[in-house]
Order: sequence, then structure tokens, then C-alpha cells
Amino acid sequence: MDGIDILIVGAGPAGLAAGIRAKQAAKDAGRELAVAVVDKAPVPGNHVLSGAAFEPAVLDDLLPGWRQVRHAFTDTMVAVEREDMMFLRRKGANRIPPAVVPSRMHHTGDVVISASRLAQFLAEQAAKVGVELYHGYTARSLIVEDGALRGVRLAEVGLRADGTPKANHIPAEEVRAPITILADGTNGVLSRAFAQQFGAAAQPQTLSLGMKAIVQFAERSPFGNNRVMHTLGYPMPPSVFGGGFLYSLGEKTVAVGLILGLDWKYGDLNPQREFETFRAHPYISRLLKGGVVVATGAKTIPEGGLASIGTLSAPGGMVVGDGAGFVNMEKIKGIHYALRSGMCAAETAVAALGDGGAPGPLDGYRERLEAAGVLADMRHARNYRQAFEKGGLFLGTPLSLVSALIPKQLGHHHDGAATKRGARLNRPDPGRMDGATFVALTGTIHREDEPSHIAIKDPARCASCQDDYASACTNFCPGQVYRWDGDKIVLSPSNCLHCMTCTVKCPTLNIDWVPPEGGEGPHYKQL
Amino acid sequence: MHCIILVKQVPDVSNIPEDAWDREKGTLRRGLLDSVLNPLDLHALSFARRITAGDPDAKTVYLTMGPPQARDVLLDCISRAPGEAVLLTDRALGGADTVSTAYSLAQAIRRIERELFAGSREYVIVSGMQSVDGDTAQVPPQLAEDLGVDQVAYAQDVHTEPALTFRRIGAAGTEDVTPTRFPVVVTVTACTDTLYAGFHATRAARSATIHTWGAADVEAKSDRVGLKGSRTTVYRIFSPSEDRAKQCEMVSDPADLLRKVQAKYRLASGGPAAHEEGSYALDGREPSYRGELWILAEREGDGIKSVSLELLGKARELAAFLGERVGAVLPCETAGDLSAELIAHGADVVYAIEHPLLATFSPVPFKSAVAAVVRERHPQVMLFGATPMGRELAPRIAYACDSGLTADCTKLEIGDHTKGGHALIGILKQTRPALGGNIMATIMTKDSPTQMATVRPGVFKVPPREDSRTGDVVRITPELAADLVGAQVTPVESFVSKVNIRDAKIIISGGHGIRSRSDFDRLLQPLADSLGDMLGDGAKVAASRHAVEDGYRSHDYQVGQTGQTVAPKLYVAVGISGAVQHVSGMQMSDTVVAINKDPRARIFNYADFGIVGDLETVVPQLTRAAQEAK
Repeated sequence: MDGIDILIVGAGPAGLAAGIRAKQAAKDAGRELAVAVVDKAPVPGNHVLSGAAFEPAVLDDLLPGWRQVRHAFTDTMVAVEREDMMFLRRKGANRIPPAVVPSRMHHTGDVVISASRLAQFLAEQAAKVGVELYHGYTARSLIVEDGALRGVRLAEVGLRADGTPKANHIPAEEVRAPITILADGTNGVLSRAFAQQFGAAAQPQTLSLGMKAIVQFAERSPFGNNRVMHTLGYPMPPSVFGGGFLYSLGEKTVAVGLILGLDWKYGDLNPQREFETFRAHPYISRLLKGGVVVATGAKTIPEGGLASIGTLSAPGGMVVGDGAGFVNMEKIKGIHYALRSGMCAAETAVAALGDGGAPGPLDGYRERLEAAGVLADMRHARNYRQAFEKGGLFLGTPLSLVSALIPKQLGHHHDGAATKRGARLNRPDPGRMDGATFVALTGTIHREDEPSHIAIKDPARCASCQDDYASACTNFCPGQVYRWDGDKIVLSPSNCLHCMTCTVKCPTLNIDWVPPEGGEGPHYKQL
Repeated sequence: MHCIILVKQVPDVSNIPEDAWDREKGTLRRGLLDSVLNPLDLHALSFARRITAGDPDAKTVYLTMGPPQARDVLLDCISRAPGEAVLLTDRALGGADTVSTAYSLAQAIRRIERELFAGSREYVIVSGMQSVDGDTAQVPPQLAEDLGVDQVAYAQDVHTEPALTFRRIGAAGTEDVTPTRFPVVVTVTACTDTLYAGFHATRAARSATIHTWGAADVEAKSDRVGLKGSRTTVYRIFSPSEDRAKQCEMVSDPADLLRKVQAKYRLASGGPAAHEEGSYALDGREPSYRGELWILAEREGDGIKSVSLELLGKARELAAFLGERVGAVLPCETAGDLSAELIAHGADVVYAIEHPLLATFSPVPFKSAVAAVVRERHPQVMLFGATPMGRELAPRIAYACDSGLTADCTKLEIGDHTKGGHALIGILKQTRPALGGNIMATIMTKDSPTQMATVRPGVFKVPPREDSRTGDVVRITPELAADLVGAQVTPVESFVSKVNIRDAKIIISGGHGIRSRSDFDRLLQPLADSLGDMLGDGAKVAASRHAVEDGYRSHDYQVGQTGQTVAPKLYVAVGISGAVQHVSGMQMSDTVVAINKDPRARIFNYADFGIVGDLETVVPQLTRAAQEAK
């Protein structure tokens, strides 16, 4: 079998859109290109999670007639007919008048989707146009030679916990291609390595953590259908950036979530507990009354915006989607940018491959992103998130609304550094779903006897962290991976949700996370 | 030596999304489950690779039967270990039970032998122990029956020098089986670490040739394949929770729990709880089947295995509804006193089949002897214990008698069924867990002279011995050719109850909720010790299938459908979700306590007392409370 012409790492919306577009563009150019996508999830969509209110226009460009294709994705998609922005007080709630909500934050014309199902759908469409899909393969590192990206090295498999090979061991395989598109998602290990190698962003990436639950009802849900709601305020103290959402996914299903900016200062803030507290709020719990949580998940969102976007292309490589940082926090959206950036990268790749031989330069990627309006949107929203960091909720909210007018880029630090010594939230346990059940409902699985994919760099630092930051990792990890046993941090890597929180939120950046053996991790089906 | 590896595409029952459950109908929407290669087949792949390893001329052929999408599992196999592949796919093959599946696969194997092996008979047919969706383990022995070859079940290890030899778990212990003729069917219970699919191997597999054959391509007769060729039919599917036997009392304080357990423990007698008896009356109607109800009697030491006596009790009960006699078939060298034991436990007639070749179990002679008697006297029901011997023998006898067989029944009843204006009166309704224990299915035999089923040991109660009972003994001396035995068997190690959890009065059983082997040891043994001390009885630690698969305990400790059936006075389920497969192995316990972090865990449906909470907290609390209560 011939070599791979375009290698794509990550089968999320960005990677799959890149794959589909590459095959389309090659066909238009009358060429046959081998396009391969590798992903660590066991099956398509399992590691994809989002809200998600989605601007579907981009799909009309990628897959004309897609709305007519019968699939769980299209069957469960819901048009937004009613939207509310609420401010939650401790007990009550107030509607924020639509007039004061900027037009860019409106959702009319959007659809509510399951991002996991979008990826399942795109994977099917990609297979139809001849994209080679390889699930269950973990890309561990970049192959860089002569100043160019030449492909990726996969994780070796079949190791014992102590790192020695078992009888079924397969050494790290190399997958090479003239052009590699990195679509490894939020704070992706390879996208970060790419930035480090070829040009880092002006500022470190800041992340938010989104937790989500699918609530199922026997009858029509009290929340109703065709509706989205966003909330500000409770349970977050004013210094914590974040908000809640409820999206209807049909008559009997509601997606509920809470997004928290990881630059919180409290060492003892447990986001999963905050999520439970949010759902226990009288106003929210009324809207969810009678429902059963059937699935949960957690994932971070890159929110740094324009200033956290590093080099987008280098010889032999491009970075797309969340991995590049294409999320607009003003709109709280990234999926359509993911799709669009994947398409732009694919078109650039096919053009650069020309009629064979060594690929030409990939500078056209940035031009295509400009033409598609992706970078313009990012520019408009560049200070939105930073305004919150500077001003907190009360000053930040009004400031954020006019953030587009602030001429200079507001700065920020890495999220772990935001944790303040001695700062405690002291949130009481709302006595609802515990962390273990939350993890169980994500369906995450890892081989128990493999080497840990998470490492504490310097265990000595954990001792003082206990007093200073309440052993923050034991609180911030929604996967319950970290436990303090009295004198050290004990890891349960098999609980890991691959959400990437720990890669930035450890106050001393003392945690090393690499993707584990392929085919492991959460099993998101409808998140 | 070539290999044909039988593989199957199954729904991923290890990871069922919540929304795949139709709570109203109590069924599972299979379309929402991922399709995967049957995980137990992975062992067959590693095993086969060891057979072919040293032989450069050896061919490997993967064979599956299924819808066109089943091609995916063949690609998966080739990615893990190279080989050719045959996809047997045809609408006519759909809806097949084990009988029509075995027939269709046998036809495909004949063509593989002719064309891919150029007529060579030097090959081994390797399969996983069972499929995780059907869980019957019937296809390999029935396939062997159709091909007229031997089967080596429960193989664990293989050596190619000096002769190809399989180490397997036999009825009496571990033994080495050296086949003296080929082909031979081997089912694999476990092998070394399963093979990964390398990236480049997977990519290369995309261009592999897959032979796609339909029913006509393998010269399969249309009345013997698919739904039409099936000898069983699913009559009803329902949720395991409908079978819910107990009302669980939720307790939060460990000391309070122990007081309740202690009080109940003193009253309990131990042993299988009295099984609820069904009732049925023909009321003068003409039953659909006539004839005696038989059981296969298995010997153990100088006596009869207790499972055979349990079956006699059940057959007695069912026969009374129909006004028929109960027969026991006893293959042996000489029956001696065993006929009297069978009669005393409920047999009206004992068919003692006596022959020197029947002294120790060997599938082909046993099958030939028993099937001949069944075909001659056509009983309406034939029950087998789901023992190592029963699991090998029953499928072959059923196939040889053109009868349907239902494996591992947890419930047997006599009932009626009307379908399309056609009334079935007084038939045997066979209920068993399916799809990894996630659903229950009631199954009926169709187009069969005899309704056959296997039942796991311990499911029914041994009836009291009545030495005053009388019955007939029919002695049969068959003619059996010595060449019916196609392998040399060398015992390696007999396992005379190395581990016997069935004797324990108290069992503490751990499951998937326990995250590591060290946690398993650290949490459960102290709880067993302290509860044993408190209640003054022996307590043992056991495990669920998940815990065994995770390597926390060996298979000898496994409670459940594919492990042991236990009925202690106290059963404590720690971190066990309560899949029916597990429940079928412990539901006759007197008192059941469930500890689980998930309040919706199905185990609570089968428990008398439940505690919801983190195992790390609750188990040590309970241990301390038991020490204090002593």
C-alpha cells in the first residue's frame, strides 16, 4: 500500500472536516490522495464533548444536503426557538433583558447538537469519501527533521506498569506523511509541541473546564424543547469566571452544563461539586425535575483567544480547531471554527501537494482562515475573556461587552498560577451525585496494568501544596484521579477523562500528562 | 498445521450507554451499542498464532458469519495477526440459532478445506470459549458434530513439540490432550495477553482479500440455515429486574446493618432457598409433546453428581403437570447401585447404557451412545447439567437428534403458547440470561422431537432421598467402535476442590467497583474474617467475572453464570453491579447484603440489605463494626 499523503491527528470535528475536505479538494483537482486520520478514542466521537449550540452554515459548505442524511446526529438535532440569559441569585433567578445581551451572543438560527454524534456523523461521511480512519491509535510525539514536521510517532503498546514489554508488545510505530494536520484538541500534547517547536503564542493558553450531563425524562421535560438557556451568577463567587447552560435535545432530553474558567483562586474548589451545586439551585432543579442523569463528561475549552494562538503552520504541518485555540468565548463557540479551520488546512494541503513531489509552503492556511472570517472573529473577541480575569464578574461583565473596543491585548498568566495560597471556597457538599458516580457515567476505561500516563514531576512539591493550595489536584480533577494519602499524592490514572485540566491547573505545574495507550478513555456517545 | 479461527461480531456489552435501555419495554436497543470483535475470540487469535508459529507453510483463515458489516471484525483480526478471511453473509442465514449457525459454518469450513487448504485435513478449528452476546458455547461442539470431528474444550495452553498437544481443563482436572486425527475443534478459555493491532498492519489489512460467500456458495440447504433451520425460538425478552426477588432495605449505619444481618442469619438454614414451584394443568387438552422427561445422569466418585439429582427434582415437578414419567440416562461401564440412587431421587426409569468405553468421559462415544437411545425412545424433554461434561455433550446430542437446546437456564416451566392460530400446549419454557446478562430471554424449542436444556449446578434443589421409591431399570449395551476416541489424554493435575467457595456459609464477593488487586485484598479479607468471627461460621472471599478478568482472583473464585453457583447463608456483594450473569450464581443465598456507590446498581434488586457509599469508607467501617459486635 502506498504512503499517506495527508496525515491528520485527531478525529474530532476539525480533523474529520479536514479529512473530508482534503478528499473533496483532491477529487476536484483530479488527484488521488491518501488521507488518514488517527485518533486515540476506541470509536468515533468517544472523546468529543461540547455544549453544544452550533452555527450549522459551515456544514452546508462541507457536506451539501447533510440535513437530509438520516443519522442519530441529524435525527436528534434541535432548532433553537427560544433563548434566555439568566442571572442566578442564591435562591432566585432574574432574566437578563435580551436588549442588553450583545447580538453576537444570540443563538437564534443555531441548532443544539451532540458534538459526539457530530463526530460520529462526520466519521461516516469521511469513510464514504475514502478517508482512512484509524481509531485506537495514540500519537505521542512529533517527528521533526530538517526543520519540518514529517509525521508522528505512536505510543508503544503492551507494556507492564513497570514499563517492561509483555508478549504482545508493539514498539512505537512511526507514521509519516508529507503534510501532517494536528487536530488533537484542547491543549493537545502535539499541538503544544508544535507551538514549542515552530513558534509559541504571545500568551499561555487559558482554559475553562466544562462539565456536562445528559438528563433524560420519561415524559416531556419541564425545560421544554427548542430552547437554550445560559446562566451567570450562582454558584460561582464573583471572582470565578463561568456560567451554566441548559440545552434541549428533544422533548425528553436536556443537556445541562457548567463552565468554569480555570483561573479560579480557590485551592479547594471542586468543579464537579460546583456542577452539582448548580443543578441543585432551586430554579435549575425545577427545570430538571423528574429527570435522570444518564451520561456525564468533562472537557476543557481553550479560551485564551487570539493572544494564545501560536504559529498556525510550519513546513509540513498545520494546527487546527481547539488544538490551535480557535474558540470564541464571546459566542461561547468553537465547533464551526474547528470545522472551518480543518477545511482551510485541507485546501492548503492539497494545493501545496500540487502534482506530487515535495509539498510547497503552507502559508496559504492563514490567508484562507482570514478569508473565511475565522481570524476576524477571534480578533473581535480577543479581550472578552481577559476582561473577566481583570475585572471579575461585576466589573468584567460590563467590561466584556465592550471588550472589542479595548485596543491593546489584555494579558494573563497560566491558570495554575491563579490559585492563591490559602484561598478557600469551603463549599458544602450538596449531597447529590458523588465524584465516583460522575466518573462512572463517563464510561472511562483504561488497562489497569499499563504504565501510568500521568506523572508527578517532583513529589516533594506536593507536601507544601497541601497547606498552600489544599492539594488542588485532589479537588480540581473531575475524574478523581488524585488522592492525598497523608504523605503523598496517589494516582488513579484509570479514572482519567482526558479533559486536560491537570495540564494547566496544578499551582506548581507539577503534573505531566501524556495520552495513554489507544482505545482507552471516556466513552461519550451523546455528549 | 493450518488454522481456521471462528470469530463473531457482537454488541459491546461491556459498555452499555444508559440511553440504550428501553426502560418501558425493559429491553436493550442493540443499534445503540458499538459493534466489536467478541472479546473472548481475542484469546483464540493468540492461541492460533502459537499453533502456526513454527510452520512457514501454515495458513490462517478467519471465518465469520454475519451481516456485511461483520467484515470489520475480519479486518480487525488480520490487523492483529495476518491471514486470509472468509465472510459468510446472506439474508437467508439471518436469525440463526446455534444449530443452523453450526451447520452453515461447517459448510463454509468444507469449502475452505477444499479450496484454501487444497483438500488437506491437517488443520485446527480454533474458537473463543463463547460469544459474550449469546453466552451459550454451543456452536463449536455442534460444528464438531456436523463435521464428525473431535472437540477439545476449555483449552488454556498449547505445545507443538513433540506432537500438537492442548492443555485444557477437563471434568476431573487439568489434562493434556494430544489429538490423533485432524481436523479438531479447540475452544480456548484463556491465553496470554491478547494481540494488539499495529497501525501499519491495520493499514495493510484494508487491502486484504476477503472471500465473501453466500449460502449457495457453500452449498447450504435452504431448510437448514437461518431462522428456518433453527431449532429454538425466542418467545419473550424482558428486563432482569422483572425477576426481582427481594425488597432491599437501605441502611446507612454499619452497626445497624450488622444487627439486622445477625438476626436474620440466626433464623436461616443455609442451602438453596426453596424454589418457587410453578403450577400447570393440561385440563384434558392434548399436549404438543408426548413422552417421558429425561435427565442425563453424571457420575462423580462412586455416586451421582448433585446437579443430576437437582435435575431429577425439577423433572419430577414438571412431569407431574403432564402426567408423564421421569427417566434418567446413565452412561457408564456398569450401573451397579447408581440406578437405585437415581430412583430414590425421583427417576421412574433408569436407562443404564453400559460399555467399557463409557467408563470415563469422552465426547464422541458418550454422544453416540446417548443420542442413539434418545432417537429410539424420543423423550419430550432432556435436561443436562451445565458441567464441563454437560456443556460438551449436550450440544452434540442435541445436534445429532436434530433438536433445539437452550444453555444455562435459570428457570424451567411448563406452559402454553399460541402463535398464528397454532396453539402449543404443555411445552417447556426455558428462561436464561442473554446479552451479557443484560436481558432475560424465554426460549421455546421448535421443529424438534425433544426439548433440550442445560441447567447450572445449584439452580434447583436436590430432592429428598426416598429409598422406598420404585422404578424400572432398562439396561442397554450399545456397540461402540474403539476408534471413536480421537485423542490421547494424559491427566496433569486433578483439582479435587483446591478452592471450594460452595461450602462456605459466608461469602464476601468483590467486583469491578474495587479498583485494584491490592484494594481487593486489603478490603475484603478483613471483612470476611471479622464477619466470620462475629457469626461463628467460615467466611470466604469470592469474585465477580469482572474482578476475575481484572486478575484480582483466579477463575476458581468466580461466582456467576460462567463461574460457580453458590447458596451461602450470607452473601455480601462489594462493588458488584449485579448483572444477571452474576445474580444467577448467588440468588439462592439466604441473606444478601449489597454495598455499592451507585444507588441504581441492579444488585440492590437482589439484596435484602443495601448500603450506598464509597467502598473505601463503608467496608472498613463494616469490618470495625463487626469486630466490635463480636
